[in-house]
Amino acid sequence: MNDAAVIAKDGEEHGARRLRFEIFRFNPCDPDSRPHYDTFELDDAPGMTLFIALNLIREQQDPGLQFDFVCRAGICGSCAMLINGRPTLACRTLTGTLPDTVRLSPLPVFELIGDLSVNTGKWMRQMSERLRTWVDVAEDVDLDSLETPMDPDAAQAIYELERCIECGCCVAGCGTAVMRESFVGAVGLNKMARFRLDPRDTREDADFFELIGTDEGIFGCMSLLGCDDVCPKDLPLQTQLAYLRRKMAKVTLTG
Amino acid sequence: MKVLHTDVLVIGGGLAGLRAAIAARRRGLEVTVLSIVPPKRSHSAAAQGGMQASLANCLKGFGDNEDVHFADTVRGSDWGADQAVARMFVHMAPKAIRELAHWGVPWNRVAPGAQSAVINGEKVELRERAEAAGLITARNFGGTAKWRACYVSDGTGHSMLYTISDQAIAASIPVHERIEALSLVHDGARCRGAIARNLMTGELLAYTAGATCIATGGFGRIYEVSTNAIINQGMGAAIALETGVAELGNMEAVQFHPTAIFPAGILVTEGCRGDGGLLLDRNEHRFMPDYEPEKAELASRDVVSRHMESHINKGLGATSRFGEHLWLDIRLLGEDHINTRLREVKEICQYFLGIDPARELIPVRPAQHYSMGGIRTDAHGQSGTLKGLFACGEAACWDLHGFNRLGGNSVAETVVAGMLVGESMADFCLGNEASVDTGLVREFFEREQAALDNLRRRGGAQRVTALNAAMQSAMTRNVGIYRDADGLQAAVAELGSLLERCADIGLQSGGHGADPELVLAYRLPRMLKLALCVAQGALNRTESRGAHCRLDFPERDDSQWLNRTLARWPAGAALPELRYEALDIMAMELPPAWRGYGSRDFIPHPQQAQRQREVEAATEQYGNRFERQEALMPYTHLLPERYRSHNARLFEDGQGAFNDPEAAGGAAE
Amino acid sequence: MSAGRHSQAQLEPRNAPAVSYWPARLDLLQGASGLLLVLFMWAHMTFVSSILVSEEAMYRVSLMFEGYYVFGSSHPWLVSVVALAITALLMLHAVLAMRKFPQNARQYADFLAHRRRMHHTDTTLWWWQLVTGFLLFFMAPAHLYTMFSQADQIGPYASSWRVYSTQWPLYLVLLVVVEIHAALGLYRLIVKWGWLRSVSRKYLRMIIGGLAVYLVLHGVSTLLAYYKLGETLRDTPGLRYQPVEVHP
Repeated sequence: MNDAAVIAKDGEEHGARRLRFEIFRFNPCDPDSRPHYDTFELDDAPGMTLFIALNLIREQQDPGLQFDFVCRAGICGSCAMLINGRPTLACRTLTGTLPDTVRLSPLPVFELIGDLSVNTGKWMRQMSERLRTWVDVAEDVDLDSLETPMDPDAAQAIYELERCIECGCCVAGCGTAVMRESFVGAVGLNKMARFRLDPRDTREDADFFELIGTDEGIFGCMSLLGCDDVCPKDLPLQTQLAYLRRKMAKVTLTG
Repeated sequence: MKVLHTDVLVIGGGLAGLRAAIAARRRGLEVTVLSIVPPKRSHSAAAQGGMQASLANCLKGFGDNEDVHFADTVRGSDWGADQAVARMFVHMAPKAIRELAHWGVPWNRVAPGAQSAVINGEKVELRERAEAAGLITARNFGGTAKWRACYVSDGTGHSMLYTISDQAIAASIPVHERIEALSLVHDGARCRGAIARNLMTGELLAYTAGATCIATGGFGRIYEVSTNAIINQGMGAAIALETGVAELGNMEAVQFHPTAIFPAGILVTEGCRGDGGLLLDRNEHRFMPDYEPEKAELASRDVVSRHMESHINKGLGATSRFGEHLWLDIRLLGEDHINTRLREVKEICQYFLGIDPARELIPVRPAQHYSMGGIRTDAHGQSGTLKGLFACGEAACWDLHGFNRLGGNSVAETVVAGMLVGESMADFCLGNEASVDTGLVREFFEREQAALDNLRRRGGAQRVTALNAAMQSAMTRNVGIYRDADGLQAAVAELGSLLERCADIGLQSGGHGADPELVLAYRLPRMLKLALCVAQGALNRTESRGAHCRLDFPERDDSQWLNRTLARWPAGAALPELRYEALDIMAMELPPAWRGYGSRDFIPHPQQAQRQREVEAATEQYGNRFERQEALMPYTHLLPERYRSHNARLFEDGQGAFNDPEAAGGAAE
Repeated sequence: MSAGRHSQAQLEPRNAPAVSYWPARLDLLQGASGLLLVLFMWAHMTFVSSILVSEEAMYRVSLMFEGYYVFGSSHPWLVSVVALAITALLMLHAVLAMRKFPQNARQYADFLAHRRRMHHTDTTLWWWQLVTGFLLFFMAPAHLYTMFSQADQIGPYASSWRVYSTQWPLYLVLLVVVEIHAALGLYRLIVKWGWLRSVSRKYLRMIIGGLAVYLVLHGVSTLLAYYKLGETLRDTPGLRYQPVEVHP
């Protein structure tokens, strides 16, 4: 018996509460499909996550229900969706923390693939290409020699920002991104902050300004900070956005 | 029929596939990557603890080099590995990690001066050398003689994948996301591309290519409880198997990781034990030293997992409402360490178990983790039987891991193999004219189209989720950590009958567009074929080697089984055809012996003593480790020319000898 | 297919877009004009509330703004100039802020749906910032025009009579709306530029919210004082305050 079955059986045996799921349904490939919510019911169980719950619904009630899970461990960022209106990772949301009725919707902003599945990958790739989210290394390094030393604290500080999993929660939680499709979102801005910190990246603030010193970048951000409050990785987005804004403003004032 | 042409087609957008794509792209080839998920969602991101590379920068890594890494890897493999490949790998790993460091991976670095650590349950202080300040540091991992697992907190795979994926974007490599390869186009001798399906719309596409590389990872999802991502259904290996030409190697070698959280099966890194974490039983007794006095918790994964299962079988497991498990104790590492070096572990404990690992014990039990087996390739990553087909990473049986992989060697393999196989593919493309027979492509396209149409229309009686659950159950019950003839026979029979029943699958949903039921329906028979290769291979192999443990044949038998299982699936067959490829003991740099942990008994190969004498003679004859190595088992000719130079190390001279200035001069302390 | 190694630079030549500093400048100007308006408004409230001290105090304050202490005589046009300048600042701030408003019906609908779904404090507060800003766009100029056109009619009695006779409903609403908008704007500025980083947003909201409540209460008592004074002038509209003594 797999983990889902073990947990579900446990719920049945212990007489758990009944959960009611209202799930957004729409298949853009099907000309007869219209957006609506379908209701499913399921017994809650201790340790049950939305990953388990949605798979049980698919196995037992509707084999055509679309949603995305990959790692089911909160690290790959595939399963972000609106849970009672708030974007978060479904795989690590324990049903025990939810009310009796749970409304699940796909993330806004991103292209809908079907039901709860959205195309975050396409959005993220476009953002990466626009912002050039890589360490801009001018030339190849000699792989036989010792690596260039780096301050241990600097490495750790970079990792703090690199923990982003591109789940899209910050974009879906952003009032600006919801209104303006071209806004790069906290995910893009945080990446710029990460590369700005990196001593290996040869770009200067003036180069970063070209990429994000715009209304689609840092100066489009209105500091609603939904991003900071919904980020599943607790990235310090508020601090990073303010920091970038100050640095980019400095470029304006001095450059 | 929509046909897309590319020089190199890479199927799989994880670390191995992307690195291979970059290598081929840098040689000027047009590369297209197919990925069933956005590439940064690949399972590579789940690698937490570290990447093995013998940099020897940190104090506990001093004296490490390719030789030590090689010996650890071969012992870990229980002498199942291809030793020339293992040599290529250990030689390349430092280069790979240095390239990644240059590309942006924020490897944790050596902080000079006194650092506290936990070793064997004791708090100790390590004084890191000033000369090593800022170089890449490493942590301890299972089955290794040195601290060699270079890491980025416990998000190593995540950082590596993001860096490589971003470099692929920088190189303008197109990644066709949510596209699944359904079959390889081939003429029986040469692979010409793949027929693929758009998972968003259901549309079929044909890709033609000079070289096709499969890098789709492992097949853990044929088991019930696996640390693998749910996309790890082994489809790359399966479509290679379905050619009837390409072969899969050592499919019975399946690794179980000791510390998956219970019952969800989510991995917590080996780094927990590497950093000093302990395994406890129901009485909170540290039981591993009872079984493994030398290595304790840090024996290889196969060995630790077996001891854990047998300890539970003795009634010493802790019990929860979900069943029996053991405890992982990382409380002794302290909150600071957990917050900086094990933060993903902390999040996993917090969200999935509702506990704080700095204060509470983590419930763990071994779970399926890694597939040592896969598409059998030569040292260049090419299939020996189907030219133009390459494979790298977990999907391949390059044969670095033999019958058990060391922790930290998989992410290292992905990038190393990617670097090498990308070069091989470029050589292959530049040396072979790519001519495409449209008729052949159409034949394969129409075959897939017809199969899908049939699946949608036929309305059979079998439900795909039930068959899938039955497969997973059969594998877990009978092809798990401990195996025997009865269980394996039952598994082969049951899996065979499930495969037959797949012909009668009926869909309950429409089967259109992104329909997940349809997807599972066409994947399931392929998974069953892989499962049958595993079970049949395990049944035939009447010995215990690495992760393959037969209760009825508990010893490693080098006299009979110093070989590699190769499985082929002829068209229309009900079972795989197995053959065996001998491992030449007389070509081994490290002849079989006791691993240094685990069972001490094995049946030796008749030529073992002879080869051992040769090796010892060479050791005496050559003072320089490079010369000795070259004399025993040359391998550098297998590498691209630009990767052949020696790796520099702190305190290592040109002869490959390590001279610790403080130890030599008796200075400092 | 071409052989040979490509570096990244070769693979993707860098197309540097023309850099524009305007988005940054406009954002900075929006914040700066808002901050100036907040500071002005607080100063304004302080001076106006001099009526709570005494009629004489308020009289002195009005004299001060008419330049009496500089030029030795009153020049109400100075007040008109200030009113004009503030109006200009206000218009600038409004125009810049409107760039951030939803630009069409779809954006309005998307934002409102987002706000309803999210139940997120800072998102909701931004909506109120927008609503109060929109109201101020009409209400503040009404008040400013009065000040501009009747700059000579500022004094303990003249102002009180204006409050009592016609303006108190506008002033009461304006007071509440302007305080809310200023508090929200100030809060937004602080988090936007990362000032007071050691204070969490929750505490910052409590502190600034508390300040706003205090300022509204303070403003209401000021308004009440004018109203009551105005009430006493019911039978003598147009009466001007006679100072106790005027310093030369």
